[in-house]
Amino acid sequence: MNWVGLYTFIRHEIKRMLRVFGQTILSPLISATLYIFIFGFVIGGRIDLIAGIKYITFVFPGILMLNIISSSFAHSSSSVFFARFVKSIEELLVAPLSYFEIVSGYVLGAVARAFIVAFGILVVGIFFDAVTLYHPFLFILHVIAIAIIFSLLGILIGLWAKNFEQLGAINIFVITPLTYLGGIFYSVHMLPAKIQFLTYSNPFFYFVDGIRNSMVGINEANTIVGFSIIVGLIIFLGILVIHLFKIGWRIRP
Amino acid sequence: MVFCVGMQQSEDVLKVEHLIKRYGTTLAINDISFSIPRGQFFGFLGPNGAGKSSTISCITGTARITEGSIAVDGLDVVNEYKEARKKIGISPQEFNVNIFEKTEDIIDYMAGYYGLRKKQRTERVSHLLDRFELTEHREKAFRELSGGLKRRVILARALVHDPELLILDEPTAGVDVEQRHALWKYFRELNEAGKTIILTSHYLEEVELLCDRVVIINKGKIASDRLRTEFEKDDKTLEERYLEITKGETY
Repeated sequence: MNWVGLYTFIRHEIKRMLRVFGQTILSPLISATLYIFIFGFVIGGRIDLIAGIKYITFVFPGILMLNIISSSFAHSSSSVFFARFVKSIEELLVAPLSYFEIVSGYVLGAVARAFIVAFGILVVGIFFDAVTLYHPFLFILHVIAIAIIFSLLGILIGLWAKNFEQLGAINIFVITPLTYLGGIFYSVHMLPAKIQFLTYSNPFFYFVDGIRNSMVGINEANTIVGFSIIVGLIIFLGILVIHLFKIGWRIRP
Repeated sequence: MVFCVGMQQSEDVLKVEHLIKRYGTTLAINDISFSIPRGQFFGFLGPNGAGKSSTISCITGTARITEGSIAVDGLDVVNEYKEARKKIGISPQEFNVNIFEKTEDIIDYMAGYYGLRKKQRTERVSHLLDRFELTEHREKAFRELSGGLKRRVILARALVHDPELLILDEPTAGVDVEQRHALWKYFRELNEAGKTIILTSHYLEEVELLCDRVVIINKGKIASDRLRTEFEKDDKTLEERYLEITKGETY
């Protein structure tokens, strides 16, 4: 294992993120603050308890997850795509780094960004009295796991996209709708019984539910199903992305 | 395979055997084999699309090999790629860097990827910044540099891990005459210190001046492979011979 190489790559990724601090850290913090203030504080103040807890406390884990997803996905997808675009990815391809090390570098850089954003949102949440932590260890595990899933997905899209439009399309047409329909702002029991299956068949629902369970101690999904989906996705996407680097898909002609 | 350079026998630093490279249905390299002994200054010429860049990409790992094998210092570039890559330094024709990164960082990151620890890295980066007269530009982003300075950053990056085999793909493109002469002097010093160098260039006088051996590739095949001593005895210049082989195709 080339530990110095891997550490250098992670350092490179974090420095790249901090170079555009306003875009990578400040922007999600502002957007999360607005969500918490408007949906949680202003509107939530007029909504009854959901599953026995305040609305702001109910929606906060979802808002947090939304930003973990968007931060980790944006980080790795833009990093891979830009490196392909300016051909700086060749710096990695000619270096004595294994494909596992390259993928790990991208993932850990994205996880670091997701952690910084999540920490900032937690601080904002504490200010609005929206934060509870029932299972801190489970919470950290979920943050890491979700960030890994979406950083791997981001690498995949960064490799696949041929232009900036394609890069943005997956986020706009797939990730954002699935995230919002995954129960960030509502309980699955608020939906008519006939369409609840749509939410249950949405993997994002299990991500929201897992974080919500770790923060407020209630869950609406089957924990084993949720755990299996999360672990299964990490393994599947991890193997797929490393394989794509190995065969040089769209990076080595 | 062992090549004779003068009276001295030397082991091969690079060994290319039956290399074939296809891009879809296009055949870019058509079964070429050659070896480069340690310490040789090797000129690699050919018109655009002849297969030079494809060969170099297969050596460095930025392109996949369709058939055949490449070994650097005895290490297979596919099966032992991590070890093989430690032996190679590449200065590509295109500037393949993040243009927003600082000069110093570009070289420093590359040193890190090659496993150089902080102290070692700091010394090496300072030495190269100094050697290529980049010290005053160390804090500047790559995009702020002139063409000649950019070329020097790329060269410094290629040398950061002190590779056995240095590949220079158009290393003096966009560099003014004075700097070109300074670079030639430096390349000669590196070669005299024992480094094996592959040079591709559109400036044939550069190749003629520096290289011990010149291989001309055309339409994916090796069309000529001659030592300097042979082309010195020739009544034709390298340019005349080159044009004869390539039938005047653009180079």
